[in-house]
Amino acid sequence: MKVGSVRRRTLIALAFLLPNLLGFLIFTAGPIVFSLYMSLTDWSLTKHNQFSDQPLQFVGFDNYAKILWGSESEFFWDYFENTLFLMIGIPISIAGSLVLAIMLSTKCTPTRLGSRLKSALIAGGVTVLACLGAWLVTTPTMDPAFADEAARAVMSDETGLTDLSGFQVATLRSHAAILAVAVLGGLITFGLGIGQVFFRTVFYLPTLLAGVAMFLLWKTLYRPKGGLVNAVLQPVLDTLDATVGAVPPFMWYALGVVIWLITLALCVKLVLVGLDRLKHNEAGIAAFCARLGIVATLGATGWFVGYWSAQLPERALLPTGLAPITAAQLDSVSTDLQALASGDASLIAGAIEELKAIAPVPVEQTVESLVKPATVAGVELASLSQAVESNAGASFDGYTAGEGLQAPEWLISATWAKTALIVMGVWLGIGGGNMLLYLAGLSNIPPELYEAASIDGASGWQQFIHVTWPQLAPTTFFIVIMSTIGGLQGGFEQVMIMTQGKADTRVLAYYQYELAFTDQFQLGLASAVGWVMTGFIFVLTAVNFRLGSQLTND
Amino acid sequence: MSKQQLAASEQLDVVGRKPFPLVRALVFVGLVLLGITFVLPFVWQVLISVSSLTDVDLLTQLGYPPDLKPENYGEVFEKVEFARYFFNSIFIAGWATLLQVITCAMAAYAFARLSWPGRDKVFFLYLGTLMVPGVVLMVPNFVIVLRLGMFNDYLGLIIPAAFSAYGTFLLRQFMLTVPSSLDEAAAIDGASHWRIFTQIMLPMARPGLIVLAIFAFLFNYNSFFWPLILIKDDNLRTLPIGLMAFDSTYGRDTPLIMAGSLMAMIPPIIVFLVLQKYLVKGIQLGAVKG
Repeated sequence: MKVGSVRRRTLIALAFLLPNLLGFLIFTAGPIVFSLYMSLTDWSLTKHNQFSDQPLQFVGFDNYAKILWGSESEFFWDYFENTLFLMIGIPISIAGSLVLAIMLSTKCTPTRLGSRLKSALIAGGVTVLACLGAWLVTTPTMDPAFADEAARAVMSDETGLTDLSGFQVATLRSHAAILAVAVLGGLITFGLGIGQVFFRTVFYLPTLLAGVAMFLLWKTLYRPKGGLVNAVLQPVLDTLDATVGAVPPFMWYALGVVIWLITLALCVKLVLVGLDRLKHNEAGIAAFCARLGIVATLGATGWFVGYWSAQLPERALLPTGLAPITAAQLDSVSTDLQALASGDASLIAGAIEELKAIAPVPVEQTVESLVKPATVAGVELASLSQAVESNAGASFDGYTAGEGLQAPEWLISATWAKTALIVMGVWLGIGGGNMLLYLAGLSNIPPELYEAASIDGASGWQQFIHVTWPQLAPTTFFIVIMSTIGGLQGGFEQVMIMTQGKADTRVLAYYQYELAFTDQFQLGLASAVGWVMTGFIFVLTAVNFRLGSQLTND
Repeated sequence: MSKQQLAASEQLDVVGRKPFPLVRALVFVGLVLLGITFVLPFVWQVLISVSSLTDVDLLTQLGYPPDLKPENYGEVFEKVEFARYFFNSIFIAGWATLLQVITCAMAAYAFARLSWPGRDKVFFLYLGTLMVPGVVLMVPNFVIVLRLGMFNDYLGLIIPAAFSAYGTFLLRQFMLTVPSSLDEAAAIDGASHWRIFTQIMLPMARPGLIVLAIFAFLFNYNSFFWPLILIKDDNLRTLPIGLMAFDSTYGRDTPLIMAGSLMAMIPPIIVFLVLQKYLVKGIQLGAVKG
């Protein structure tokens, strides 16, 4: 609308704009310039505060040099690596979101209100009955066997529950079973009654609640002993271990070789097809990528099985070669070690025999060095006893001698902490905004395209490759760009709450926090880190745009 | 479309064919199984939150706590200033949301409906700052808030959150979809811009305002980094910071931590259940904060 003089219109516009513009200039536009300036100075809260206002030193690009190849570069690149590692979760999460969206848009629940209510009522009734059934079946009666002291002792020994009688244990397990039935039945009932919206809400919950409270919950879930994750995982690992143990090693080798051969054949075919396509000038990138994905998956599986089977001979040796050292043995060894110190020759010989019987190979060399004058041996004693003691809890790549495969210690272990964060991240993000975007994208695909494709005789998979995936390309493009930007900056909260920066989990955002707001308060350096991250973000976004424009043109 | 066609199209899934009953059943089973993996952690959280401390490890073996201890919830309020954290979070998120929606709506009106010299340039400046990642803004904003004397103060949490280039952009897009014939007619009738803004624009752009309000509330309610560096007093702490401090002091008392975190999850759930329709639409329109 162009009413009134330019002056008047500008004044009115300014009146509307002013509150926001003021805040925008002070807290958004201004700080961008300010930050650029800060990154070129030695700004630090320890030097420049209300008590000591030292003159600000202009240091040029020193901060950037320090980060990229100077004294701080070691940390910076290490944390950058961690950040990239955590971003492995992004493609997994996006693929999962797409799968969830496709599942949600399959009309698998009744659509009409009447049939919805009817099926929900039936499912609800069945659930109530099932709960009753579970109650009847699992609730223990006061079995005389449980009242028996001996039976109670056995039960206590099995579960490690000293205070609870077998009857109590059985009652609690019965409660748990009823609860499980109720949760399952509830999901089915609401799923049938409400349909897509119900599952969408359930999948969206983690994203909605992603914050400190959620990370505290996951910290509890990841506890090595008593956490839900390992409570679910350990039985699986035990079964796996038993299966692996039952199958002779050569079978695993054979399986690995067979998968490798299939992979090889597929690779050859892929190359041939690709050449053929090029000859006929059909790019077909989507189809090409899909094939590449299958081949890569098979290759990875083959590698995994092959690698794993290569470990088997040693693993098979473990139970005999490295029997766990019992407390009694350890005791006797330490008695022997004391005897050694006394320098008695006959006792030394006895101790050596004993150590040879129970100690791993490296200790044997130490034992030989013990056949020296007792004074020298005394010096070696410490290292020997250390070797024996550390072997008592020896663990080889998740395999503790005699105890089978152990579930990882997740957040405590430097090997597994990042994986733990990735798994949680996928769980958090899979049903979030990305899934909703894919849902909208799916509902925008014109049905005629599918009709045409099915008339041409395209299978479900072909329809996905040639209709769904290309039609969703703009959505995927947007999601990939936003996730990459978020991924490079993210991770601070998780790391701060769940690992406190331990277990090799520090990310760039954490690094920036550490530089700026802990002991040194090096605001200048932290600003420079922010700008370097911005640089990475721009580069990655540019790469995404490049790849994306190819993908969407396909 | 005739009734029959309508009935037929309802039965079509995304792949355009009526899926086999078996496929539909399998998908439903899949959804239920996935649903379990999403619900189970929360069920677990509830169970832990009513366990006594000594029984936490037994949960993995039994699946149900031997002694129900709902008093844990009361104990959270005794151990720390939990009610205070709750109030702070709601108070700060509420004010920040209200102010942000007001300032953004007014600015959006200026961009969408008023013509003034330099409008496009200023708007371009707004858009440009959206490209700069948040990590750049944290450090300078800290110094600015420090110099403005808002350190360790409600104001330091509310005022910077009361403006948003992103929100302005979002609402402008919403306002552009409102037919301009409406406000032109009002202008001919002699209505002032303020009247047009409050009586035509705001009601018409209501879905947009609600979307922005939900995003702003959830964002500020969950905000962690900013209060972490800005708040030093215990009685000014928001829930996320309070929970973190609670965890580092009473971290061994898992039931209490779970009870506290479960309570902190309630407000977003309420907001979501009430305004779900708007939130989903908002996200699907691409209103995702980057």
